[in-house]
Amino acid sequence: MTKPRIVAIDDEPEFIDMLESYFGLRGYEINAAVRGVKGIELVKEKNPDVVLMDLKMPGIDGDEVLKLLKSMSPSPKVIFITAYDDGGKTKARLLNMGAYACLDKPISSLKALEETVLKAATN
Amino acid sequence: MGFLYFPYSGLINAAAALVVGFFVLSKNYKSPLNRAYAFFAVCVAFWAANYFIWLMSKEYTTALFFIRLTMIGAIFIPAAFIYFVTQFVEKKRFWIHVFNIALIVVFLALSYSPLYIQRVEQRLFFPFWPVPGILFHFMLAYFVFGLVYAHTILWKAWKREEGTKKEQIKYILFGIMTGFVGGCTNYFLWYNIPFPPYLNILVSGFVVFVAYAIVKHQLMNIDVLIKKTLIFASLFAVVFGMFISITLLTQSLIAGNRFLGLAISSVIIILTVRRIENFLVNITDKYLFQKKYNYKDLLKTFTTEVLTVLELDKLVNLTVDKLTDIVKMRSAAVLLFDDEKQQFNVKASRNINDLSVTLVRPDGMLTFMDETHGYILVSELKEKNISIPDSIREITDKLNAELIIPMVLHEDVIGVLSLGKKKSDENYSQDDLDILLPLAKTLAIAISNAELFVELGRAQAEASQREKLAVIGTLSAGINHEICNPLGIARGQCEAFLLNLKDGLYKTKTDEELIEKAKGIMAKVIKETDRATAITKKLSGFAKPSKGEAEIVRIDKEVDEVFGLVGYELRLEKIEFDKRIQKDIPDLFVDKKQFQEVLFNLIRNAGQAIGDKGRITVTAKEEDGKIFIDVQDTGAGIPEDKIKLLFNPFFTTKDPGKGTGLGLFIVRQVVEKNGGKIYLKDTKVGEGTTFRVEFPIAAKERVKVSK
Repeated sequence: MTKPRIVAIDDEPEFIDMLESYFGLRGYEINAAVRGVKGIELVKEKNPDVVLMDLKMPGIDGDEVLKLLKSMSPSPKVIFITAYDDGGKTKARLLNMGAYACLDKPISSLKALEETVLKAATN
Repeated sequence: MGFLYFPYSGLINAAAALVVGFFVLSKNYKSPLNRAYAFFAVCVAFWAANYFIWLMSKEYTTALFFIRLTMIGAIFIPAAFIYFVTQFVEKKRFWIHVFNIALIVVFLALSYSPLYIQRVEQRLFFPFWPVPGILFHFMLAYFVFGLVYAHTILWKAWKREEGTKKEQIKYILFGIMTGFVGGCTNYFLWYNIPFPPYLNILVSGFVVFVAYAIVKHQLMNIDVLIKKTLIFASLFAVVFGMFISITLLTQSLIAGNRFLGLAISSVIIILTVRRIENFLVNITDKYLFQKKYNYKDLLKTFTTEVLTVLELDKLVNLTVDKLTDIVKMRSAAVLLFDDEKQQFNVKASRNINDLSVTLVRPDGMLTFMDETHGYILVSELKEKNISIPDSIREITDKLNAELIIPMVLHEDVIGVLSLGKKKSDENYSQDDLDILLPLAKTLAIAISNAELFVELGRAQAEASQREKLAVIGTLSAGINHEICNPLGIARGQCEAFLLNLKDGLYKTKTDEELIEKAKGIMAKVIKETDRATAITKKLSGFAKPSKGEAEIVRIDKEVDEVFGLVGYELRLEKIEFDKRIQKDIPDLFVDKKQFQEVLFNLIRNAGQAIGDKGRITVTAKEEDGKIFIDVQDTGAGIPEDKIKLLFNPFFTTKDPGKGTGLGLFIVRQVVEKNGGKIYLKDTKVGEGTTFRVEFPIAAKERVKVSK
């Protein structure tokens, strides 16, 4: 089975670098963008199975991006990874809107993230 | 007329003797002792006054007449003095007096015969100096013998007596010795020894000593209360007389040149007038106004200037200063209870011997005060022959204290007021105690008020600190991002490497390549942990309470610093941040932490007013010697009815849990403590708000800013 294709959008290059060094070696096709707009273009271009993205980034709104991605066909699974915490309100709303998962940043382990990605891709 | 000093010394002696003699008599004219003294003084005055007239005489016959009259005075002096002395030491010596009277009668009878004084003639610069007759030698022998006899009586009495009487005798002895040493310089010329009576003025010295004994040791039971004026006047006369004498003497030594003499006296006057004035002021302080310090003045000063002070340090220092100044005591100290150390420490003092003196509970003095709430007056204890325990003696010595009064509030001794001896050496009277004891009580209330005020200030500072911490708590998103993310990334890098290694993904790599890989990861880990450390430091630096000290502060740098804390959160909310600091803007002289706190609160408030999407502009510019810092937001604006409440404590428009409402209230306090002003510059509902902070430009000197 081919590994799921991933697009990661995060404004922290260090975070992206970490994801790449893990997923890249394990045979995932991972593409990354540090800017929201660029990220959306990348999703359109690469048509990934899973999108990993930060919720709060300068110049981008999680809700809108999610709507946009959901409207795409085939639409990728969206996993939010974010430090933003408002007592679970936003998380619940996003999950309701069709996000696959909302993970806390910093992530507890890459292994767990990989499992979530795999699950999302096969689902 | 260079020798004018000599006649005038006589005049001064006469005046001084008369004044004191009259004064002593007026105090108690019925007392034999006072009468005896007055009689003696009159004799001296008679002698000295005629001495003056004799030396001023222009004709042979007048001079001869008056020197004879002068010597009649001299005949009386030993007898009068012996009479006074025997009265004073309470000895009868009836036959001595009879003998004296008999001799006086004989001398009187012969006083105008040449047997006594042959004639007058030119000796040195005295045109009419007497030439002694045969009887004069007897008279002089009698004179000297009489004085030696009186001295012996005094000397014996001095050895025998105790306490005040001993002191009184001492001063009379000193005085009479001084007086006679001065008087005796008159007799050298009689025997053709060319030494003029330079020391004649010392006869007045006797007066000074007697005056001193009257004041200090109640000589002749004279109540000193009123007549310090007189003592001052006679002292003044003596000092002034001596001064005049010096200038006249100068003129006489440089005989013939009046102008030079005048010039020299002028120089002396110019050089010494200040010292003499100081001396007189001191003397006045010491004797004249000492006891009669104005109770009203003391009360007025304390009620208007001292007791209302709310700064503890200032209050106690003022207390010590004003007390020593008004009551004119040598030393004073206020000791207050230190809760931490459980002891009384010196909080303010003047002229005490040991600043480190402490009073601890089980010690004798405190136990005594705790139990009685009473004062300790050293002179009173001495009077009642109560021996003072060494432990207490040690403390009074260290404090240089004469009177120790506990400051009692609600049955608690909260402090101790220690007062030194009065400069006049007078003892504290009941009148003094009647005013000082209630004063100590009032002071206790004032000190307790000031302490509460300090406590309140501390509570306020604590509230400010709590507020700051609360605000930091609400920064969680930003802080989380800034600290946890780097750590998460560092962790992830390590995890990825280990998992890749474990899963055999690095199999194709050589050892060197692996080490290179590991090195790269470690470098990243270090970078990330450094990032986390930096923000932690920034935060904890901000969270620390301020030192309360002003320093030179660069506005630009501090705005950046604060933006480092709130910047991420603002970006999350899509708030743009715009910094417009005028180039070369002068530095501020403020408490750095507090300044950061002000900026932090204003910027954060602005951010919250905006909510989502907007712009915060921080402008700083110099105008008319002031610095204006504006924090402008594009937020919701403040409704008119809320404007008045803005700086009230606990006023908030934020959701419950988001703000305590202390923000602007504390911001204003902090700004004002640093010498600035803060106000709402402009607000419009729906458009935004601008707060303005004004500070003066940094001055060079260091200023203590309270916390």
